[in-house]
Amino acid sequence: MATVTLQNICKSYDKRDVVHDVSLTIEDREFMVLVGPSGCGKSTTLRMVAGLEDITAGQLVIDGVDVTHAAPQKRDIAMVFQSYALYPHMTAYRNMAFGLMKTTKLSKAEIDSRIHEAAEILNINDLLDRRPKELSGGERQRVAIGRALVRQPKVFLFDEPLSNLDAKLRNRMRGELKRLHRELGLTVIYVTHDQIEAMTLGTRVAMMSKGRLQQVGAPMDIYMHPANTFVATFIGSPEMGLIPCKANGTGMLSHTAFQAGIDMGQAGLPDDLILGVRAEEVSLTQGIGMARGRVERTELIGAEALLEVAVGDERITVRGAVAGAPEPGTEVGLDFDLSRVRLFHGKTGHAIDLQVDLQD
Amino acid sequence: MTDIVRNTQAASTATTASTATTAANTVAAIVPSPFSVVLRWMSRRWQHFILAPLVLLWLSPMIWIVLTSLKTKVEVFDPDAGILPAVLNFANYPATLAVAPFGMYLVNSILVTGSILIAQLVTITLAAYAFARLEFPLKRFLFTLFLLQVMFPIYAIFLTNFVTLRELGLINTLPAMIVPFVASGYGTFMLRQAFRQVPSELSDAARLDGCGHLAILWHVYLPLVQPTLVAFGIISVVTHWNDYMWPLLVTNSDSVRTLPIGLGLLAKSDSGADWTRLMAGTTLVVSPLLLVFVIFQRRFIDSFMHTGVK
Amino acid sequence: MSHRFATVWRKEVFLAYALLLPSLIFLAAFTYWPILRSFWFSLHDVALGDPRIFWLGAENYLRLLDDGLFWKVLGNTAFYTLTTIPLSIIVALLLAVAMDSKLRGMAIYRSAFFYPVMIPSVAAGMVWVFLYAPGYGPINEALNFLGLPRLDWLYDSKWALPAIILMSIWKYSGYFMLILLAALKLVPSDLYEAARLDGVGPVSRLLHITVPLISPTLYFVIVIGLLHSYQIFDYVYVMTQGGPADSTNVLTFYIYQNGFQYQDIGYASTIANTLLIFVLGLIGLVALTLGRRVHYMGER
Repeated sequence: MATVTLQNICKSYDKRDVVHDVSLTIEDREFMVLVGPSGCGKSTTLRMVAGLEDITAGQLVIDGVDVTHAAPQKRDIAMVFQSYALYPHMTAYRNMAFGLMKTTKLSKAEIDSRIHEAAEILNINDLLDRRPKELSGGERQRVAIGRALVRQPKVFLFDEPLSNLDAKLRNRMRGELKRLHRELGLTVIYVTHDQIEAMTLGTRVAMMSKGRLQQVGAPMDIYMHPANTFVATFIGSPEMGLIPCKANGTGMLSHTAFQAGIDMGQAGLPDDLILGVRAEEVSLTQGIGMARGRVERTELIGAEALLEVAVGDERITVRGAVAGAPEPGTEVGLDFDLSRVRLFHGKTGHAIDLQVDLQD
Repeated sequence: MTDIVRNTQAASTATTASTATTAANTVAAIVPSPFSVVLRWMSRRWQHFILAPLVLLWLSPMIWIVLTSLKTKVEVFDPDAGILPAVLNFANYPATLAVAPFGMYLVNSILVTGSILIAQLVTITLAAYAFARLEFPLKRFLFTLFLLQVMFPIYAIFLTNFVTLRELGLINTLPAMIVPFVASGYGTFMLRQAFRQVPSELSDAARLDGCGHLAILWHVYLPLVQPTLVAFGIISVVTHWNDYMWPLLVTNSDSVRTLPIGLGLLAKSDSGADWTRLMAGTTLVVSPLLLVFVIFQRRFIDSFMHTGVK
Repeated sequence: MSHRFATVWRKEVFLAYALLLPSLIFLAAFTYWPILRSFWFSLHDVALGDPRIFWLGAENYLRLLDDGLFWKVLGNTAFYTLTTIPLSIIVALLLAVAMDSKLRGMAIYRSAFFYPVMIPSVAAGMVWVFLYAPGYGPINEALNFLGLPRLDWLYDSKWALPAIILMSIWKYSGYFMLILLAALKLVPSDLYEAARLDGVGPVSRLLHITVPLISPTLYFVIVIGLLHSYQIFDYVYVMTQGGPADSTNVLTFYIYQNGFQYQDIGYASTIANTLLIFVLGLIGLVALTLGRRVHYMGER
């Protein structure tokens, strides 16, 4: 296994930038998730690591070797595709053997033992003689992973591998992937647009948008301390509530619905700020509360209720108990958990690192 | 999905038919009369009443060929002899085989058609892959050149091709019947369409599995477009097996003639219009392909059927 | 573009041309070179088998304008093409509509209508010579049986070309039927249902729903029909040799006569060029008139 280093990687088609200056190091045995909305450049980045796309500028190093311009089969990587890309005319066994026959000088017996070993791990021993169209979606998925496993590559690349599965199966395969990663000590780069997958699978998450890297960090770090409003709203469900405020000269954060005092130690604070509040960082209060809001919508999702509350013109989501959840239209008082809420720059959307002191 | 219309259509015509007949059948109202049953059946399957006679009409030339080949010379010209041969007379077949070396024609036909097919499969596979999956300058222009070839078959340009082959010293050889057909714009187009249907992730996977372009073509694309290859093969074989004009122009001895040319020659030599022998020859020439057609009907029909849809 | 990217790209271009090369060689030698050469021949006096060649300029073309037979031949060709294709397609469309159902026996019908395509043109031509025979041919017997007058068919300059047209319809409409049938199966049935609910009759349904929806296929069938119309050479050669009185002489046969019988390659090439122009003109005409109005069901 090995580390992968992307250094100032760029990709452009006809002078249009698709991936811009991405620098990222994936450590040995790390499960790195590239996450972002569709068209953010995450798949292109992965395909550049795989060698399926040329790297326009920058450098790619795998295990200390510069492979920026190496052919895919020379990079010692294996990939699992979104549609699995199993060869329809070959059996599962042949699908797994094909790459080994082409890229290695292993004997038939060695190839056979590798395939059976992988089949054992993935529990697909009985399926080896079947063709892809005789397999279910989940089984195809396993064969596709098996095809990557038998190669024993330095790095595993996954391109949205679970998005063709139904919700239940996706959940199970997520657990399976986590187990494989842990037990076999794999180095993985995993692309997804699903933030839950990113949060649950990644040892670290790299968030991308519009071809640029937005933030890299452990899932909980990103969840708690998003680098900007984009990351803040993308990661976490329900979405983080954003409330634009004004900072007046007196160190007060003002909004039509409330006012808050700010620590003035920070110089160069902009006039326009955005307050970011997660659902679990607000609570309903019987009293007046720090701010007033009106319940717009109530969703009972089983264990708890999600309330959409209008604060001025903005809407934020609040977690509450199912019992006695207020009806839509009710006026409620809100208390913010001051130790956890965060501020963003009103124009750039970047996070501002300071403590907020909210007052009535 | 078209069933619904058809069923309702059939049902509605059936009901109108039966209401029309009920008036006549009020006496025997409980038991549906055989007449109304027949009428209902007819109205539901009206197509048969139009198509069956037409099919007979369409088949009649072929029937006529076989019947005549089994008649005697006298019967053909006798207006009172009737349609069927009085006695089955198989003597026309050995007589035909005695006057013309049909065995040699058959071998030549197989050699020419087979060589054209193999050569075409090679050229169109390579070219179609380039057009489907590679980027290069003049791609559109070259593709147009390939497509235009469809419009200029040998019938339109045979004269200068004849001159060229004469200069190459190929007249009256088997290659003369093969070389003008080695490149196929139509086949290239057909196969390119099929290649474009192959998901690009498969060729990505193959690249990671260590395949270059040619290996991808061989291991991934060709196995996946087999139905198209078969369809093209059938169309090509039918076309060249039956080809008349070009082999006629470039051959002048039995050693290189194909079946259709042999048949044409037989007709010419039989200036007294020995129809029985000629029809025996025609049966012999027509039957190999028709036999294959009857056996692999579905494949043939599908191949020709889908030349238009894709 | 980085240096490395340029080499990758150059490699792909090299490969592409290498893959096209086999086809291009044969395409050039036997399709495009002959066209160019034919033009060059048409400006010269060239005899078959004679290496000498004399510059004539436009003389062959002027001769063409004065050649009454050429105009007759051109007219015959146009008549054959412009009657055979529409008639075959109408027959094919009616057959296809009647066969667009799941009744039993349709597979047999399909093959029965299609099999003439499998028959070599020379065999088909010969059989029809027999069928058309004035004295003892079964067609005349049938006409006689129906109380109609016997005809001289291939021996009558009025009837010879129509006789070949009739045979061509027999030979090709089954093929066109097959292609149209494939297209009919793709027409969504709810359109017919909607039309029935609107009280549209079967004829209107055919003209206003079926035909527009399968128009791309109809267009394709017309092009295929144009290509197959070349094959009339075989029939003329086998059945009439252009006669009687050149009533069945068509461009391809006239080229053959001038080139091979009179050995005048220069003049034959001149006629061949007009054939190419004739074909391109027809295709252009079809593309401009029908191609534009073709109703596409989504992009294909």
